[in-house]
Amino acid sequence: MLVVKGVDIYYGKLQVLWDLSLQVGKESVGLFGPNGAGKTTLVNAIVGLVKPANGEITFGGRSLLPLETHRIIREGVAVVPQERELFPFMSVLGNLKSGAAYIPGARDKIDERMRFIFDIFPVLKERLGQLAVTLSGGEQRMLAIARSLMAGPKLLILDEPSSGLQPSLVSDLFRRMREIREKEGVSILIAEQNVRQCLRAIDRGYVIENGRVVIEDSAEGLAHSDHVRRSYLGL
Amino acid sequence: MLAKLRQRDYQILIAFIIVAAILAFWRPHVLISGLQRGSLYVLIALPVGIIYGILGILNLAHGEFMMLGAFFAFSLVTLTGIDPLIAMLPAFPAMFVVGIVTYRLTIKHVVRAPLNQFLLTFGLAVMLTEMANLIWTTRPRIVWVPYAASSATIGPITFGTFEFVYVAAAAIVLVGMFLFLTRTRAGLAAMAVGQNPRGAKLVGIDVERTYMMIFSACLAVLGPIGALFLIRHAIFPGVGGPFSLRAVSIVAMAGFGNLPGILVWGIGLGLAEAFVRSFRGWGGWADIIFFGMIILVVFYRSYQRRVR
Repeated sequence: MLVVKGVDIYYGKLQVLWDLSLQVGKESVGLFGPNGAGKTTLVNAIVGLVKPANGEITFGGRSLLPLETHRIIREGVAVVPQERELFPFMSVLGNLKSGAAYIPGARDKIDERMRFIFDIFPVLKERLGQLAVTLSGGEQRMLAIARSLMAGPKLLILDEPSSGLQPSLVSDLFRRMREIREKEGVSILIAEQNVRQCLRAIDRGYVIENGRVVIEDSAEGLAHSDHVRRSYLGL
Repeated sequence: MLAKLRQRDYQILIAFIIVAAILAFWRPHVLISGLQRGSLYVLIALPVGIIYGILGILNLAHGEFMMLGAFFAFSLVTLTGIDPLIAMLPAFPAMFVVGIVTYRLTIKHVVRAPLNQFLLTFGLAVMLTEMANLIWTTRPRIVWVPYAASSATIGPITFGTFEFVYVAAAAIVLVGMFLFLTRTRAGLAAMAVGQNPRGAKLVGIDVERTYMMIFSACLAVLGPIGALFLIRHAIFPGVGGPFSLRAVSIVAMAGFGNLPGILVWGIGLGLAEAFVRSFRGWGGWADIIFFGMIILVVFYRSYQRRVR
């Protein structure tokens, strides 16, 4: 599915990703690391918001590097950015529809997708007519995830989905991610700092520090790794 | 963004209706010519408001682009002898192309640079005027068509009837833009881009293309408007300047991004101007009243903000 191979990224003269490689197949993959490790940069590189200096990013065998962001999204990659990036003065319904309206394959399936989404996020159904800006932070997060699911993506990327959420919502969110993975068969890549909660939702994970992959292991393996336990789980 | 009239606009609308009712009895011709003139302002200000709302660019050269549209129609009329109303048709695609070229060469590079876009569009305004000077010279040009001078008399007042096309055109452009922005997929994409360009990219919208199409469409509308303007007014290279100023002022008074407000303020200012002009010998004050009102509105806004 998604293959990132030997990617170097610079911001001006500052190199933030160093020869970074990872893969996401039909599975849920976690991407862990402290602030400034390069998680968001990697996510932005996958969707074409920053372009790597070296390396290759392919999706389903096709290189994503020459494509602009909107084309990458139309290829079946969906991303839920940390800042959510909703349309604040559109209704919840408008936001949801916008998720499917510009994706050639998803356009005709809006009703079907909506049913699926209300199944996972019932609260959105009650809020359909409200402007997105009036939702709480947690609801906005759900709307952002729902909007990206409207496209019927093959790969769903979430950047720090737990940030700004109250703890009870965080475990709830990761449970739903499992549910989405199982019901939809969509591949998931989650960049996260809340390692403890996220480990329950993923099959495999990478730890990046200073722009390099330092550990790659199964969820089980990560939970028992000394480095992860010390640095991320506080054990 | 343009979903509903703000409450403030309702108050202003009601105030205008009361004023209009008084005018209807006292000076009915002011009501008519004010409506006609105001419609022309609305016509020119609406695209400025849309470009601002979606691209975040305040186009200071909008009146100059209308002047270009008018001269295009003028050249077409004098070269081929067709009626200026028919010249509206080719003027639309012609100005669309001008829009695409302008966007590609200039606007594209300043979409996220607030000060630069002011300088750029101001420079464009000067350049367009000077270019028109070279091509068509400063001599005022008119086309004469019999229907332009048509008039009607109701009771004691006589008024030009041709100017009602401005009212009709303003209604068509307003309704057309509203339907486009709320009913079509491309329009909704434009709204999405206006609210959050990054978010728009992430749902698969081609933001760059949307910017170009909206900018070009807003300039394209100026082609037919220019042709209509030409029928009733003498045109010369500097004719657009006052309209650029008024359009930007009306957009500012409506509050940026508030399209229905543009309708209310455009007509309101047209009425105010016509009212001042209706006093013999005081016509020169019209501009001062116009810009005086803008200063008052801006003062009132900042006063309101402080009170809150």
